[in-house]
Amino acid sequence: MRGTRNRLWLAGGLVAVLGWPSVAVAAATVTGTVTFAGKPPALKPLAMDAEIVCHKKHGSKPAPNEALVLGNGNTMAHIMVWVSKGLPAGKTWPAPKDPVVLDQDGCVYKPHVMGIMVGQTYRILNSDGILHNIHTLPKINTAFNRGQPATVKEMTTTFPKPEAIFQVKCDVHPWMSAYISVFTHPFFSVTSTDGKFTISGLDAGSYEITAWHEKLGTQTASVTVTGNETKAQDFKFAVPAK
Amino acid sequence: MSEPVDVAPKPHVAHEVHHEELGFWRKYVFSTDHKVIGIQYSVTGLLFLLFGFCLMMLMRWQLAYPGVPLPLIGSLLGEARMPGGTMLPEFYNELGAMHGTIMVFLGVVPLAVGGFGNFVVPLQIGAPDMAFPKLNMLSYWSLFLGGITMLGSFFVPGGAAQSGWTSYTPLSVIAGTGQTWWLIGMIFLITSSLLGALNFITTIIQLRAKGLTFMRFPFFVWAQFVTAFLLLLAFPPLEAAGVMQLMDRVAGTNFFLPSGLVVSGQALTNVGGGNPLLWQHLFWFLAHPEVYVLILPGMGIVAEIIANNTRKPLWGYRSMVYSLIFVGFMSFIVWAHHMFMTGMGTTMAAFFQTTTMIISIPSVVILTALIISLWGGSIRFNTPMLFAVAFLPMFGIGGLTGLPLGLNIADIPLHDTYYVIAHFHYVVAPGTIFALMAGIYYWYPKATGRKMNETLGKIHFVGSLVCMNAIFMPMFIIGLAGVSRRLFDAGAAYAFAQPTMHWNVVSSWGAWTLAIFQIPFIFNFFWSIRKGEKVGDNPWQATTIEWSAPSPPPHGNFVHAPQAYRGPYEYSVPGAGKDFVPQYEA
Repeated sequence: MRGTRNRLWLAGGLVAVLGWPSVAVAAATVTGTVTFAGKPPALKPLAMDAEIVCHKKHGSKPAPNEALVLGNGNTMAHIMVWVSKGLPAGKTWPAPKDPVVLDQDGCVYKPHVMGIMVGQTYRILNSDGILHNIHTLPKINTAFNRGQPATVKEMTTTFPKPEAIFQVKCDVHPWMSAYISVFTHPFFSVTSTDGKFTISGLDAGSYEITAWHEKLGTQTASVTVTGNETKAQDFKFAVPAK
Repeated sequence: MSEPVDVAPKPHVAHEVHHEELGFWRKYVFSTDHKVIGIQYSVTGLLFLLFGFCLMMLMRWQLAYPGVPLPLIGSLLGEARMPGGTMLPEFYNELGAMHGTIMVFLGVVPLAVGGFGNFVVPLQIGAPDMAFPKLNMLSYWSLFLGGITMLGSFFVPGGAAQSGWTSYTPLSVIAGTGQTWWLIGMIFLITSSLLGALNFITTIIQLRAKGLTFMRFPFFVWAQFVTAFLLLLAFPPLEAAGVMQLMDRVAGTNFFLPSGLVVSGQALTNVGGGNPLLWQHLFWFLAHPEVYVLILPGMGIVAEIIANNTRKPLWGYRSMVYSLIFVGFMSFIVWAHHMFMTGMGTTMAAFFQTTTMIISIPSVVILTALIISLWGGSIRFNTPMLFAVAFLPMFGIGGLTGLPLGLNIADIPLHDTYYVIAHFHYVVAPGTIFALMAGIYYWYPKATGRKMNETLGKIHFVGSLVCMNAIFMPMFIIGLAGVSRRLFDAGAAYAFAQPTMHWNVVSSWGAWTLAIFQIPFIFNFFWSIRKGEKVGDNPWQATTIEWSAPSPPPHGNFVHAPQAYRGPYEYSVPGAGKDFVPQYEA
């Protein structure tokens, strides 16, 4: 009798162990690479000699323009990629407890492009130790426009409403610019210089994926994923013909 | 000048009319008695002066020690304004805008015009009350609502107004919610002043005692009379402008928003067609006469006290009166000297430079007459006299340093620097506020029946005189070095401003020490109500009619309807039995 009971427990355990991954990991991934097609335009570097602290941080030379940052093989950094359609209506995702961090270092915003979830803490650092002014320019959320003197190393805020990408700028240093988008879901990614993005945790289904660049606009693609498959979707940006 | 009708109530009439016993609320809160309203204005004005002074002391910390956390108090003001006790620029802007607004519109004007005007003018002209007592009450409560609105604005999202006390457009139109509250508050304050001005003009013309011709007016009455006209004629444009700015903010109008307006690099949509300079014209059309609203009552107070304490008639009384009227008239055609920076062109600039130079002449006549009045006097250096005498050089410094600002070519490099702050504050702080202090010490016995303590008064005076100069004199140096007056860090970020930074420390310590020297005054003010030396109806041996009333005067003011028999300053009359002959004695 005891042996029969043990066998039943063993069988149940095996079913649970084998079945668990198919339930918990049944999450698809969309990944890809963003590249630039054609000859990259020559962009004017950022002259910071008006702000001596930052000028020195860049070796007393102009800093590279951040509007177009390319890696090997013309892979593109600073591309925001997100799921723009197809997510189940009414479903909610909790905001992560970890904050999204924006640093001001060398009179440059780091990162240059970022995504954040509604209600997630936006932590603004001042590594430069000089006066900066963080000025968000949203259309839906209330603008955040606050000076950050040298001695104030950190400020925080949140965005209560979802909003498409808007600019963050510094009114003291007009060359400083960053972009932020506020999502209700976690399905977004920003490329680094290798041009790669990964959006994971998607349920099976068909989605519209959008890629955005601050100067070159947006591109969309339709992707259908099943189970826990990983689907590749690359994007290619180019300077529009005149 | 026609002989006025005797409209002052006869004793028995006054007795009948004012016999009714009023309850607490109608007697002390919603009172229609000019003396109670005058005291309400005065206390309100003094409290707001103290509050505005506190805002300034916070600013002075930031200017002396930019970026250094303010101990104790800093952390109490919240992370949104002073994270870790360090002042954010936006909070500095709040403090700057509200300090100016509160000191001018809620401090000095209520005290100088509402307080002294209400309490003293009816008494000095021998009237039982103001011409429109209920309007007078409404005027005070309108000011009160304006004050509450201004205070409330500190608690709205984004804090109080941050666009300066001048609220220049288009910045103020696109500013946070606090600016809306500022505008609503200003509409209340302007309404209060307009009602008060109507009342003063009517009262002075209609309710003066028999025999009190215009040229027998005490100079203080003349000062309040001209001031009332300035308020009546100059404030309506600002009230209209305030409503227009409010409409721009809440109703989508574009009175002050120009086409093609770009804010933070983004072109604003649905705006255009307005003119930002229109606001400046409307604002300064009030605000230059407002400067004289701030100073003329002070001159009136000083004139009374100098005549009384030199035991001499004022030197050049008539020329002072004519100068006063001329100043009032000219103050309406000098406003654009505040706007040379707008690039108005040489023709317009030439006109406003000329009028500005002309208006300095009557001001100098008044100041000179007051100085000459001291000559040969048997001067009593009591506390009111000390403040009154100190007013002369302080106002002199303020006035003379204003002349370069009246000239286009000198104004352009100086305009946005601390020089302007120093100039204006010499006029209004050690200028007007010293005169108001003199007035408080002088008329306190009339209001309470007791004198304020002289020793405490002299400590208050000496400390205030030294500290006021310690605050404002360094600002001339900082300004002449070219440091902008609106920098939240006093120029710490700029190499050229470094040699001036230590002057800010001097200035700030002067401000904080000035606060300490106000403690004897505050203590004296309250202590003397019960413990001060008891005095009779005329403790200063003065000549003007208010000293014929009991101290404190009853409802209706006079036991017998007073009559004026002579001019206001019959001191040391040869052959007279005493060194003063009151104008109310036959």
